[in-house]
Amino acid sequence: MIRVRGLQKEYSGGTRVLDDVNLEIGAGEFVALIGPSGAGKSSLLRCLNGMIVPTAGEVVVDGEAVTGARGDRLRRIRARVGFVFQQFNLLRRLSVLENVLVGRLARTVHWRSLLPCFPAADLTRARAALARMGLGGLEDRRVDTLSGGQQQRVAIARALVQEPRIILADEPMSSLDPALSHTVMELLRRINREDGITVITSLHVLELARAYGRRIVGLRDGRVVHDGPPESLTASAADRIFGPGGAPGGGGGGS
Amino acid sequence: MRGPARWVGWVALLAVFFWSAWATEVSATRMVEGLPFMLDFVRRMFPPDLSVIGNALRGAVQTLQIAVVGTGVAAVLALPIAFAAARNAAPPWLFYGARLLLNAFRAIDTLVYALFFVAAVGLGPFPGVLAVIVYTATVLAKLYSEAIEAIDPGPVEAVTAAGATPLQVLRWGVLPQLMPQFLSFTLYRFETNIRAAAILGFVGAGGIGFYIQTYLRGFEYPAASAVLLVLVVLVMLVDFASSRLRARLV
Repeated sequence: MIRVRGLQKEYSGGTRVLDDVNLEIGAGEFVALIGPSGAGKSSLLRCLNGMIVPTAGEVVVDGEAVTGARGDRLRRIRARVGFVFQQFNLLRRLSVLENVLVGRLARTVHWRSLLPCFPAADLTRARAALARMGLGGLEDRRVDTLSGGQQQRVAIARALVQEPRIILADEPMSSLDPALSHTVMELLRRINREDGITVITSLHVLELARAYGRRIVGLRDGRVVHDGPPESLTASAADRIFGPGGAPGGGGGGS
Repeated sequence: MRGPARWVGWVALLAVFFWSAWATEVSATRMVEGLPFMLDFVRRMFPPDLSVIGNALRGAVQTLQIAVVGTGVAAVLALPIAFAAARNAAPPWLFYGARLLLNAFRAIDTLVYALFFVAAVGLGPFPGVLAVIVYTATVLAKLYSEAIEAIDPGPVEAVTAAGATPLQVLRWGVLPQLMPQFLSFTLYRFETNIRAAAILGFVGAGGIGFYIQTYLRGFEYPAASAVLLVLVVLVMLVDFASSRLRARLV
């Protein structure tokens, strides 16, 4: 499903955020990406949908090379990859339904999406996704009148109506309080199980990574320093990822 | 700035002020000597001559029309210019070029453009409309471009990540963030343009200013005061309606 080979990203000035990342992720996996801030988690996720162009290396997603893809070809790949952001990145003045319809842009006749005059099927799909996120009845509310947890669920609905093969989530719960984190993670897990969508999510709370990830990939200084099932994330493994005693969120236990 | 430097600054400021006052012949004596004449002038304006109210209203409507057409066309013209003049939307060569042009055009006021257009296309409201367009387009383009530079990149990234085309990104990621501000700026400029258009008649470019100037020149002070009264009512009405609308946009 996803193949990453020798991935490097260097910014002008020589800061290297990704350093020879190799990764192979199969269809239907649920991967938790962990590591200290600045380890390159966001950059890695953004290389997977072509939002960041790597300095070297190769990314293949769903059989298509992301690296080197431009224009229509890149947009076709992105349409199949949903992205959930830490800050939600919704259009605050638009309605809940309009925000979800953004996920249909790549699959709708171009002029209709600009008017906008979305086909009934798109509207039905958007409403269904909202109902599934527990937001039925809020379609016409302006998105900035919703709570943070509701907004993140709108963002997940937006990713879902893309009919994606993969959903990438960048710290999807770090702007939410702990109780809501579980709701968001639970929704991602259900999408993963019920729809067979591959989920890769970066997390900074080890508890959540252990509880939800079926595979845990640890990044440090732009390199993969850990890769295995939740049980493999022992105290010493956590130390290797975060540095001795640096593990956040009650990490390091469980062994 | 520390002690001595600050004092030098204040002294310099005062020096410039008094030098300017001296050069502009500011004089308390002349001011006092002029007071009776001012009072006489005001007294002769009353009561307003309401028989010219038809002319005044005709002029007021034309002023309103000049502002409506001028602001409307300017708002449309300002859109592409604003993107060219936004640091985050245009390549540097275009950005610096557009900013330079905008600043140059903005240095000249509507009334000066009106003089130019009256000479070019003749008397009447049309040169007034052209003058309003040129000045307003540059002012709005500057305001719009600052709004574009303050845009939240997050939603734009999200729309792009959903596989949207550049046109869709503009329509769904950029414009929803900008439209309320653009409309608010445009309404605000419309208010200002009513005032600007009111004096365009002084140089033969149409509107209520024509009557103000004609009556003042003909020493028909009661008629002039009636026209001024209509102008005051027009400006207040437009300000009120426009500010109400703008409050709803936020």
